[in-house]
Amino acid sequence: MNSLERFQKRLRGEPVDRPPNFDILMTFAAHYIGYPLASYYHDHRVLVDANLSVLEAFDLDIVQAISDPFREAADFGLEVEFSENNLPVNREPLIVELDDIKRLVPPNPGTGPRMSDRVEAVRLFRERVGGEVPIMGWVEGALAEAADLRSVYLTMTDLVRRADWLEELLEICVNVEIAFARAQVQAGADIIGLGDAVASQISPAMYRRFALPYEQRIFSAVHEMGALTRLHICGNTTRILSDMLESGADIIDLDWMVNMNSAAEKFGDRVSFCGNVDPVAIMMQGTPEKVYEATQRCMTWGGPRSISGAGCEIPDGTPEENFHAQTRALRDIASHN
Amino acid sequence: MDKILEIIYNGILDGDQKAVAQDVQVALDAGLAPDDILKNALVTAMGEVGRRFEAGEYFVPEMLIAARAMQGGLKLLKPRLVQNGVAAIGKVIIGTVAGDLHDIGKNLVGMMLEGGGFEVIDLGADVKPETFVAAVREHRPDIIGLSALLTTTMPKMISTIQALEEAGLRKQAKVMVGGAPVTEEYAKKIGADGFAYDASLAVKVARSLIEQK
Repeated sequence: MNSLERFQKRLRGEPVDRPPNFDILMTFAAHYIGYPLASYYHDHRVLVDANLSVLEAFDLDIVQAISDPFREAADFGLEVEFSENNLPVNREPLIVELDDIKRLVPPNPGTGPRMSDRVEAVRLFRERVGGEVPIMGWVEGALAEAADLRSVYLTMTDLVRRADWLEELLEICVNVEIAFARAQVQAGADIIGLGDAVASQISPAMYRRFALPYEQRIFSAVHEMGALTRLHICGNTTRILSDMLESGADIIDLDWMVNMNSAAEKFGDRVSFCGNVDPVAIMMQGTPEKVYEATQRCMTWGGPRSISGAGCEIPDGTPEENFHAQTRALRDIASHN
Repeated sequence: MDKILEIIYNGILDGDQKAVAQDVQVALDAGLAPDDILKNALVTAMGEVGRRFEAGEYFVPEMLIAARAMQGGLKLLKPRLVQNGVAAIGKVIIGTVAGDLHDIGKNLVGMMLEGGGFEVIDLGADVKPETFVAAVREHRPDIIGLSALLTTTMPKMISTIQALEEAGLRKQAKVMVGGAPVTEEYAKKIGADGFAYDASLAVKVARSLIEQK
């Protein structure tokens, strides 16, 4: 059974040799093949090589074009600082004055340097492991993208103070994200992941107005093209889980703060949950025994459609034996079933 | 509660920065004592903001605009409080550690602490251990607050605590830490005195650290 078959069967709740492992590795993967993080997010060939190396070394079941939040924003014209071994950072928002929105030029995923590099990553994945391993492209949610362009701080105040204006910005963002998602599916993505990090910091009512409708539109465009969708919201999403279900995501990531047992009990087999081992306290700082127990516990709670993974990116410096403990736990689950 | 104090209190809960500043000025002009306005309008309102946040009635956007409104009023009160010799309940130096540019969480904690009656000296983001050391020498705080959002920058909390130890300043102030990847277990491991997982709890932790001093 290859990784794609394992994933497809698991998604339908059918028996598998072991639950698939969808851990997100970025800095770790770059360093694993001896490259600085900057090469990982600047050069799709490094990103692909790094993914394929950790895929093989740690029995993962996915390759992923996720790298940093500023692909679309940089192509919009946001000033982004890159440094050798840190994530890209932005110091000044692109949209400071409300009128700045009128000057926004939506980037094209085929020509924007950073967006097209991700599309190329997906294309190269397809060449190398297409049909064997699920290939995941990645987009920002419209709200997350607005926060990238406007800063989290200003977006938080916009949510309360100028909802109509924010919706204008979200409309621009969602169209860019739909085009970006389509370009990645055309290049060969089996799944489009969508990150909407700020959504865990707002009320359910705000989520339903400013995040969910845009997630639905992006996912609907992806589904129309025959690919699957994965919703990733960092942080504690317990209070918006039932709304997240309405996004149309085929897979919902649960960060480690969410109780996977309660989530699975409440939502049953309506969706496939992915998670949710603590990436820092367990994966990086825990012992192999702790990783083994936590991985098995999550899969027991998650049920027959659940996918294994840490709640968010697994940090650099995580001991290799902890990844092997994860693999052992997943194999043992299957042999005991 | 005096009518004007109630108006200021409600203005903060609504996050109306402009109205709060105007109403604080009205209260001062009417002869109310600055520390009366601080304690009975600003601090009580921010206490209520914290309660609503913990109860899941307020979220980060509401907390942020309430804190900003409170700061608008506090700006007017500060010089008068200093003039009248009214002491804050404690002095806190706060900053995001070296290599980490995330400041939303740290800013929220800073504002909530101010709203809790603390004097807050915000060193900003990407603060090197030696900058913390220099600031502790200069300001002699009761508490040092360290924030980190990235797992890659969490170890800078250790370097900062070590730098304070090497400078012989560690015992002068309590250290509290926080940020998305930081856990209570990690805080204990690195020798911090306090940990808070959100801005509202940070005020309670800071108050208990002051009581321990």
